Amino acid sequence: MTGRVAPLTQSLLVVAAWAVSLGVLSARPELFAVAVPTLLVLATLARRARLPDHSISHAISSDRVFEGGAATVTVTVAARSPIALIELLGPLPPGSALLSGRHRAVMTLGAGGTARWSYEVRCPSRGAHDLGTIAVRVRDRFGLRTWERRHVDPTPLRVYPRIVPLRTLPRPVHAQASVGDYVSRALGDGIEPGDIRQFAPGDRIKQVNWRASLRLGQLYVTQQHRERNADVVLMLDTLAEVGAPPETTLDLGVRAAASLATAYLARKDRVGLISYGGVMNWVRPRSGRVQYERVVDVLLRAEVVFTYVAKDLLRVPPRVLLPQALVIAITPLLDPRFTKTVLDLAARGFDLVVLVVSPVEVTRATVAPSPAGDLACRLWTIERRSALGELRRHGLPVLEWRPPEPLEAALVNARRRRGRLANVG
Amino acid sequence: MIPLLAGASAIALFVLLLVTTTAPAVAVAGLVGLLLAAVAIAARWRWLATVAACVFLIGYATALWVESGPVGIVPALGFGLLLFFLLEAVDLACRVRGATVDGGVVRSVLGRWIALATGTFGAATLAMALATFFAGAVPAAASPLLAAAGALGSVWVLAAVIRRAV
Repeated sequence: MTGRVAPLTQSLLVVAAWAVSLGVLSARPELFAVAVPTLLVLATLARRARLPDHSISHAISSDRVFEGGAATVTVTVAARSPIALIELLGPLPPGSALLSGRHRAVMTLGAGGTARWSYEVRCPSRGAHDLGTIAVRVRDRFGLRTWERRHVDPTPLRVYPRIVPLRTLPRPVHAQASVGDYVSRALGDGIEPGDIRQFAPGDRIKQVNWRASLRLGQLYVTQQHRERNADVVLMLDTLAEVGAPPETTLDLGVRAAASLATAYLARKDRVGLISYGGVMNWVRPRSGRVQYERVVDVLLRAEVVFTYVAKDLLRVPPRVLLPQALVIAITPLLDPRFTKTVLDLAARGFDLVVLVVSPVEVTRATVAPSPAGDLACRLWTIERRSALGELRRHGLPVLEWRPPEPLEAALVNARRRRGRLANVG
Repeated sequence: MIPLLAGASAIALFVLLLVTTTAPAVAVAGLVGLLLAAVAIAARWRWLATVAACVFLIGYATALWVESGPVGIVPALGFGLLLFFLLEAVDLACRVRGATVDGGVVRSVLGRWIALATGTFGAATLAMALATFFAGAVPAAASPLLAAAGALGSVWVLAAVIRRAV
């Protein structure tokens, strides 16, 4: 705990010196008397300073909230010796707003006293925050001395991106070996009926197709298509963003990635993530609830880190960027390096879908409406249409998402003519 | 509530100035001090409150000089207490700005002020008794020098105390 003399002491010293000086100059003893209370107070500094003995604990109502959600921070102060005045500055995540209460508190505590104070914080944007630091300042009896310290007790608060339920998803071309929701071309155990063939030893009676058997005079069995899962890799462009938080193109891209990850994981697919930008992060494709946490953990920290260096996807391990995975590139297409990477992936034969978060609408929402701005946005739209057309000419399925229209509306266009899945592992 | 205490202290200082004398110069000084104090309270600016206190002091010294009446220690002690109340209240107002203030804070401040007022009047009574006792022993010619040396010494000692406390 750091102790120091408070600014009030200097003020009192100035006033006392001024009163005494005026007293000497005017030869009036009353002015010495004026200085007496101030001098008496200042004289208390000569006493040995006693460090106030207290303890602080704090808690938050929830360590995970969605964007726009609120958490209540409760701070409890227990004094073992009297505290004339204690000031507390509670944590407030960047970009957050107070819903109720204040994150600063001033209180007086007697020996053995306890005080509790709480406030509610609304977190409009995603992120991983630590609400574990409280700045504490304790004042002595007359406010001449203060002691300051930081109470640190790590209290993480994770603000998850908003998720929208998705019914339409881009279908992968290739399926994997595990059981999933996609009807595979390969035959085996499943629900979806496939071909019929003549009965062979080992076939089960319940597979016998009685109608065909009666018509053809021989036993025939119905084969089923296997239902398999797929590998999906979400590739998030973190090279550039436009817009104002919490509605930047990156924020929207993160929400899209989180929604897609949730939807694919619900279908028992394995989902991975590559955050492609100044700093590259990736999550190996896996399935299950824990995988959602892993993916979101990277998404929470996704930010634009400026770099001149064009990152090579060869740095990504093959176990992350699986050859038969469906790669969904989520990008505002603001940086040509990402476009080049997407074309490179397509050239390497990856099953690729490009989900473009339109930056035009996002930018339009942040600038004041004007004829010049409107014209600029229209020109930009034309320019981008040309860029998207260039990607489509390379055979890439490009889905354009224009917020605030729902993501589902953009994904509806993803019904690609793929038919049944090709190969099954 | 705390800014109200500061405002009440400033108004009380102004009234005390007017009670001491009704000279226009003193009233003007008081008004300037009051204005500075009001701005300091509104802006939560400690140093402006210090300037306001100094202006009130100038006004009080002028009032005493204009009146040239008999020595009145009790009003002077009251004036000194009000100056301290003003400075502490503005300092507190700075600290509690934008904060949740526990109800006990104001009670605690008022309690401290009452204790300080009691202690001040007690100390002043004791000092007056001692001064009356020793007054005969000091030659009249040496009194101003002694007063100046005492004043300088007390401020110097205080400065040393503060320096040690830093």
